[in-house]
Amino acid sequence: MQSYWFGDVDDGQCTPFKGEAGAVASRVRTLRGSMDGFVPLDWQLAVACGACADRADYLLKLQNVCIAGSELAVREQYAGKDVELLQMVRTLDEMDTVINLLSERVADWHQIRHPSFSRKYRRTPAHVLVKSIADRNRGGAIGKVAGEITNLADTRTALAREVSGRACAVMPNTSALIGGLVAARLLSHAGGLKDLSRMPGSAIQVLGTRTALFAHLRTHAPSPKHGIIFQHRRVHNAPRAVRGKVARVLAGKLAIAARLDYYRGSLAPAFIDNAQICIDRIGTEPAGKENESQ
Amino acid sequence: MIWIGDVLVSPGEGGVYNERMLGGSRVWAPYRSKLSALYHVGTGIELTPGMRVLYLGAANGTTVSHIADYVEVVYSVEFAPRPMQDLLEVARRRKNVMPIMADASRPEQYAPLVEPVDLLYQDVAQPDQAAIAIRNAPFLKNGGSLILMLKTRSVDVRKEPAEVFHDTLEILEASGMVIRESVWLAPYHRDHAAIIGKRAEGE
Repeated sequence: MQSYWFGDVDDGQCTPFKGEAGAVASRVRTLRGSMDGFVPLDWQLAVACGACADRADYLLKLQNVCIAGSELAVREQYAGKDVELLQMVRTLDEMDTVINLLSERVADWHQIRHPSFSRKYRRTPAHVLVKSIADRNRGGAIGKVAGEITNLADTRTALAREVSGRACAVMPNTSALIGGLVAARLLSHAGGLKDLSRMPGSAIQVLGTRTALFAHLRTHAPSPKHGIIFQHRRVHNAPRAVRGKVARVLAGKLAIAARLDYYRGSLAPAFIDNAQICIDRIGTEPAGKENESQ
Repeated sequence: MIWIGDVLVSPGEGGVYNERMLGGSRVWAPYRSKLSALYHVGTGIELTPGMRVLYLGAANGTTVSHIADYVEVVYSVEFAPRPMQDLLEVARRRKNVMPIMADASRPEQYAPLVEPVDLLYQDVAQPDQAAIAIRNAPFLKNGGSLILMLKTRSVDVRKEPAEVFHDTLEILEASGMVIRESVWLAPYHRDHAAIIGKRAEGE
């Protein structure tokens, strides 16, 4: 028997499937045929089946089914909890880029207007400088731009808080290990929670190192030790000699955490506690200890 | 194919992606669409009004909309939801575009919807492009054609594009496909090649 969108055909006998485009599309998605012994669809069967009157009617009805089915599939894809988080974290990272670029530009601009101004020997963070430029130049174009940057920075802070909160809800275990923001960035680079959960630890370790990784694959450049997970304090605070090791162990635990998040969806305290101890032990042990013990 | 001077066009409702219009027809730019590039650098397959086409990797429906201007029906398979939203919009305005959200490497998912086609057009960013084409070959009529837009960098970034091209041709020939033409799409698209094959007659 062959199942087609308009019905089932068995030895020339046709059992039509009646229903709206949406219902037909849903049925098509449940059909699990195989390509072995596949009998290609003949549109005239649909006419014989009573599903349509002629070729034009066949195409019209089929298109309704195709559109309904694809709309349904798109809606399902977007219903995932991680889909919006993905956009949020990408927006956040792009805002960072924009804020930095504009701050640099406004500082340069300010320097032209005040020839004696220099940032050397000052400990003014960029955002404080931008704020002061905004306050001192009210009404002028430079003041307006600086004001916009300050506003943008406030929006960014609020967004970061939301991303972090959302990440803790969507991926509790991963977030518990490296924090919501970094977890969300991993998610964004992997392309989704499902994709992240299917990655080996070694791939998670070098997520976000595209340039270095391809340089390594193409030429004989050294392999990257850490990508996004470098942003986590355990990696960047670790002594240089063990940093790669910490990154590897952390990435391994993250791979497990991501699977827990995707398949279980709730926090596993026992796993987290063990993983934390394990990672901390690597980070604090002196370099070269592994070789001595052998 | 319809040429106005040396500009390739397709007849149909414009404004799909802000394409230029020329004499009431839509300009089909070679830098934008790989199929248009193929008609500029090689021969390709003449699109005719009665043709049925299976298009794998339909993306935003840019090339799909041009093909749809020439042929009877285009079965357009796309996997990602974002471009599918655009493809759906194209389908709502073009009665002969059938949007199918499925994975091109799993043809059994859309086998109940697709009829035998005269042309199998494939433009997917996957490592196993030859295998995907072979898996979809049952949809081709006897004597039907395959146009495979080979993205060599998607197959393997470490290999030389020429090597990937050569390997792909071998795999396709081993599967019984008769290769009619194979050209690089330079200068329009870098590291992309077009392979045109025919399914052997008979069996």
